Amino acid sequence: MKKLWLALAALMVLSTAVAQQTRLRVFVGGQQRPDVMRKIFDIYQSRNPSVRVDIETGGATSDQQQQYLTTVLASRDPSIDVLLIDVIRPAQYQASRWADTLDKYLPGVTRENLLKQYLPAYAKADVVNGQLVALPAFADAQFLYYRKDLLEKYGFKPPTTWDEAIKQAQTILAGEKNPNLNGIGFMGNISEGTVCSFLLPIWAAGGDVTDANNRLILTEAQAKDSLQFWLDLMDKYKVSPNNMAEKAQDTIRQEMQAGRWIFGTLFAYAWNRFQNDADSQVKGKIGVVPLPKFEGGRSASCLGGWQWTISDFSRNKAQAYKLVRFLSSPEVSKILAIDASNLPVFPSLYKDPDVLKANPWFADALPVVQAARARPVHPRYTEIADVMRKGLNAVLARTKTPEAAAKEIISGLQAIYK
Amino acid sequence: MARSQPHYRRSLGDLSERALAFWLLLPAALLLGFIALYPVLRLLYTSLFALQLTVSPDSSFLGFANYGQALHDARFWNAVKNTLLIVIVTVPGALVVGLLLAMLANLPFRVKWPVRLGLLLPWALPLVFVGLIFRWFFDSQYGVVNDVLVRLGGERLLWVTNPALAFWAICFTLIWKTSSFVALILLAGLQTIPKELYEAAKVDGASRWQEFWRITLPLLTPAILVAMIFRTIAAFQTFDVPYAMTGGGPGNATETLAMYVRATSIENLNFGYGSALAVLMFLISMAVTLVYLRYVRGADE
Repeated sequence: MKKLWLALAALMVLSTAVAQQTRLRVFVGGQQRPDVMRKIFDIYQSRNPSVRVDIETGGATSDQQQQYLTTVLASRDPSIDVLLIDVIRPAQYQASRWADTLDKYLPGVTRENLLKQYLPAYAKADVVNGQLVALPAFADAQFLYYRKDLLEKYGFKPPTTWDEAIKQAQTILAGEKNPNLNGIGFMGNISEGTVCSFLLPIWAAGGDVTDANNRLILTEAQAKDSLQFWLDLMDKYKVSPNNMAEKAQDTIRQEMQAGRWIFGTLFAYAWNRFQNDADSQVKGKIGVVPLPKFEGGRSASCLGGWQWTISDFSRNKAQAYKLVRFLSSPEVSKILAIDASNLPVFPSLYKDPDVLKANPWFADALPVVQAARARPVHPRYTEIADVMRKGLNAVLARTKTPEAAAKEIISGLQAIYK
Repeated sequence: MARSQPHYRRSLGDLSERALAFWLLLPAALLLGFIALYPVLRLLYTSLFALQLTVSPDSSFLGFANYGQALHDARFWNAVKNTLLIVIVTVPGALVVGLLLAMLANLPFRVKWPVRLGLLLPWALPLVFVGLIFRWFFDSQYGVVNDVLVRLGGERLLWVTNPALAFWAICFTLIWKTSSFVALILLAGLQTIPKELYEAAKVDGASRWQEFWRITLPLLTPAILVAMIFRTIAAFQTFDVPYAMTGGGPGNATETLAMYVRATSIENLNFGYGSALAVLMFLISMAVTLVYLRYVRGADE
């Protein structure tokens, strides 16, 4: 009988302890290594016994995650406290009031002091209309992957300009005579990633979509040059096959992994697949360099990356903010770099010996990430992306001339930026 | 109180026919109200507002401005055109193929299940799977269609990125997928036709062709109408197959109305305009259904 009472008392103590616990629910995409995230949340829980962090995963792509989160957040569902979102989304989250501003939770640190630790591009992407909307989780950027073995065989150094890349590809293709080998791979299908393909030549020539005040400065001529450049890779220089309008990023990655490309413009995730996948035909044969520029232009990459933000419908915002600060700390960035091979958001970690032991190529990645440029920061980004990706896709499918598509792209952008 | 008691008991125990009908229909009516009527009314309501979450979470009343915008929207008319073309090609297409399949399945085979299974399989597959499977069939580099073309001495065609070819690839896929549904309905119709009619026709010396035109087709008309109504409504809502095969591309060349509604509402978070587009889509399929229903009533008389 006494034992029973003791057990009951213990149960009550336990249940009050559970009741005092704050439960935070964090949304993480399916491709963002929920297993590593769980490990990070466990560290946080062990240091903050009063907090329990639950993980919710969904959607393997940015679009799929956004579809799900739209349903949750448009209905003002409070069940998710913290979200991991794509770098293209903070502006929309701020406009829709889905994300709470983090400024009001910044005690003792000024925003500038906090943000200057990170790679500068993220400080820019996460401050929208003067409000801090999110904090960076991990970085990403597009790189030029190349076949080390093939370039060495023909005595080439990795290209720094697009002209070099085209010439090298032509020489290697002519020398190898392999019908399954292609030259320069890039995203050309109708997916969102094709926006980066559209922007790369514009940046590489020194242009941009908007000025520092977020006003539209892209001209029809610049847009036309970009569209013409990709079309020429197929029709004029013959370094890309004629079905580029079908190619998604992961199609290029899979084909490069099967040894079918000399060059590929891909995001950082491709590296580990090339090196570690069991079916990879190119283990140890892939090199990575910054994207080429045009003569007189600059080398520029398309910025990716993921951000932590707090749902405006959360009932535990103060606790959620503490968690977000931990998640965007150098300690977590290092764990993500080592365990998930995610590029760090802190420049210093690119020289960290533990990180470099796990990912030696990160040493070369820092200048690329530092020179990476953000896709347009605008709440109506999806409409901007729609205009750009469909324009390039239609040109690659040869249903529109570069001139006509450039005209449509600029008038479409003008309607959004008016 | 004492007097109302027996009255109450009587009304429960001895409902008039009207009252009984009311109570029996109430659950179904409530269910329909919640899952069909309420969302449609809500859609109509939202379509009268400017509500775009990427601009602001607040809505403001617009009247019919969203509808006015749609009428001047080239992308809307392009989507209407694509949707109508898909209806015009795939509904008769599925009907012809479905009729052939149904007549094949109605033949007196000794073993009936292989044909019936073949009939059921495309119908049982989810639309989006069919889209993904045929996307690979029509892939210009790895697809089986181009492989056959090359073996026959032809050239590789860019099936999913050439607008005309993409349209026919989508229609082919839709017909493959939906003709089995049509065939199932027509097969049921075929089996209700009395055998005596054919026997009598044989005695009178009618050819197979005459049997088909004079007996099979007239008696099958009600089943054909039912199949056409269902197919037409579904064809107006075509989404999954083009979405999986072309994503609406190249550019917007194969975008259907349902895809445009989705892009506007779910991707661009423009719920006001998206609702107006959805209402217009609803009106178009309502109009077509009414035409059919009139025709059916006319045929009955």
